[in-house]
Amino acid sequence: MKKAIVVAFAVIAASIVATAAHGGPKVAVASQSVSCSSTLKIAMVTPITGAAGFLGTEQLSWAKYAVSTLAPKMGLKVQLLQGDTPVEQGAAPALTLAQKFAADSKVVGIIGPSTSGDAEASAQTYYHAGIAQISPSATDTPLTYAVNGKKLGTPTFFRDVPANNVEGPTIAAYITNTLKAKNVVVFDFQEPYSQGLAATISSYLTAHGVNVTRLSAPNTTTDYSSYVTKVPSNTNVVVFPTQQPPAAQTFAEQLVEQGKSAVVFGGDGADAPAQFKYPGGYVANFAPDISGIASDAGIVAGWKKANPTMTLGSFGPPTYGAVQIMLNAIKIACAKDKGTLKSRADVFHNVKKVTIKNWILGGTFKWSTKTNDPLNGHFYIFKIQSNGSYKLVN
Amino acid sequence: MQFFIQLSLDGLTIGSVYALVALGYTLIYGVLKLLNFAHGDVFMVGSFIGYGVLQALGGASDPVVPVWLLLVLVTLAAMVGCAVLGVVIERFAYRPLRNAPRIAPLISALGVSFFLSNSMQLEFGAQQFNYASYNLSGGALYFHGFDLDHVHIPLLRIITIGSAFALMVVLWFLVNRTRTGKAMRATSFDREAAAMLGIDIDRVIVFTFILGSALAGAAGVMFALRVPTFAAVGFTTGLKGFTAAVIGGIGSIPGAMVGGILLGCAESYTAGYWTTAWSDLVVFSILIAFMIFRPQGLFGRVDIRKV
Repeated sequence: MKKAIVVAFAVIAASIVATAAHGGPKVAVASQSVSCSSTLKIAMVTPITGAAGFLGTEQLSWAKYAVSTLAPKMGLKVQLLQGDTPVEQGAAPALTLAQKFAADSKVVGIIGPSTSGDAEASAQTYYHAGIAQISPSATDTPLTYAVNGKKLGTPTFFRDVPANNVEGPTIAAYITNTLKAKNVVVFDFQEPYSQGLAATISSYLTAHGVNVTRLSAPNTTTDYSSYVTKVPSNTNVVVFPTQQPPAAQTFAEQLVEQGKSAVVFGGDGADAPAQFKYPGGYVANFAPDISGIASDAGIVAGWKKANPTMTLGSFGPPTYGAVQIMLNAIKIACAKDKGTLKSRADVFHNVKKVTIKNWILGGTFKWSTKTNDPLNGHFYIFKIQSNGSYKLVN
Repeated sequence: MQFFIQLSLDGLTIGSVYALVALGYTLIYGVLKLLNFAHGDVFMVGSFIGYGVLQALGGASDPVVPVWLLLVLVTLAAMVGCAVLGVVIERFAYRPLRNAPRIAPLISALGVSFFLSNSMQLEFGAQQFNYASYNLSGGALYFHGFDLDHVHIPLLRIITIGSAFALMVVLWFLVNRTRTGKAMRATSFDREAAAMLGIDIDRVIVFTFILGSALAGAAGVMFALRVPTFAAVGFTTGLKGFTAAVIGGIGSIPGAMVGGILLGCAESYTAGYWTTAWSDLVVFSILIAFMIFRPQGLFGRVDIRKV
């Protein structure tokens, strides 16, 4: 029996090692010149299936809509490719996709990756291939800022939403100033997005005199009972920055099961009204409800016509914006290169030259001069109502 | 004291699920000497069958039958579905390899495991599915129950733990008090001798798979009543069930029960008294410690062979 168990573990260990080896970075192929009159390709890299599939499906619908409506107006022929990166599979799918897209010389830009872990894992591959990436939702701070002397993104990585260093203080300020919380539990899930956000929120809260308890759960945790048991009964707020909204719902229910009245506060990863709908909870997100922005009326109507069964969420509009920036960068590069892109790096070199009036999230979009982030990015806070809907409160 | 009671309750709840999964491992190992690594995925399929039946019966918010009947039907459907799945797995993945070297069915078991989890992911996606049992009868399963030293013990936990123990008792009765159980024990002791005594080995093995898989199906529903399920959930839960079986002594039915409860409590106490970050590390360290210092587990016997 002992032998059989040893053999079984050896087989499992070998398969894990093989999987890890398969996901390692490889050198990308050199870029070739591409005619701007040919069909250019951009790829959307996002979790289309999996627990975060709600996010990717929404982003993909907006990316398709942006390509189909904006590219013809700019005189461009663009094909949108899609790559699925289920969050449960870690960064391996993002790496594989990066190698695939880098090897295709017609791929001139990437929208995504949507999650911070995927963005960090694949950034070097895109950088070596000279491909610009614009993520509409990867918010981990070190992707564009040096944190403790270390930056995880590359010059080809951009995002059109603000980072955790904006989200964290926004959430923390709301907890201290509006909710007046004195005792807060902050979770992380042992992956880059939540660890970065939890660290930022904790340090802000601690600096403002709030008593903070940190809890860390493996990303594979399903039953939070013993974590709930560790939440002190005088806790006012639990910050739960999961990327799996059903987990936030379960956690809120298990708090009630143990008679604890703390409010659950999710980050942008938990923003899914169909899955995290426990009344009294909060989520933060980088996009407002754009149905209230007058200049977006036509865009929203067009998207709803193209996607009649879908609901307007917070992840789609920044994706539309990312495609808009990418197409503008392509257009500028094509004009400079007189109709033939010498290399796809020419698109990358023009991303920061793009500014957009009537930005989909309101106002004018401009890049920060210091980092590859938007200038004056803002996070919004929504409260979950008794019917499960989200109401903008900050 | 309240903290200890709450942690014990947490451990007992998840431990009951581990124990049911461990029983499947131990039954199949006992009869076939096979580590059925697909067992965790049978558990996962059970949780999905339960979800499907729950939705077909109107879902948690608006069920078309009384709640007690709903829970019984969901559990029975998962048990029957998994029992059928277990028979199919035995027939097509293990029976052709019954006389092959022991590594062959082991690899086949891993293959079935990946086949099941990936097939479910292909069909239903990798997202989490929530039974939403909180909505059953307006939260009755969460709010009803009783209090022990100011610790609320909700009805859902009582149902989970009670059902698991009831199933364990039924299993113990089946194995120790029936003719089929006697045949299972004889096959487990010496398959060739049992065959020579007229026991239909194939039938015993199929029955063992039916029992083990049905328990996994029930465990899947009990698990998913409390937390969301998804296509990959079987891997970790299966490994923990296997660990529980090793701790108890693989092949020993009381051992699997005790191993599951111990493992659940170890996980819960580690998270409560030490660290939430490394509870899995502690769980699998216990497995390694048992493998080194007491490979026969708590209730297993050392195999002595004459040479």
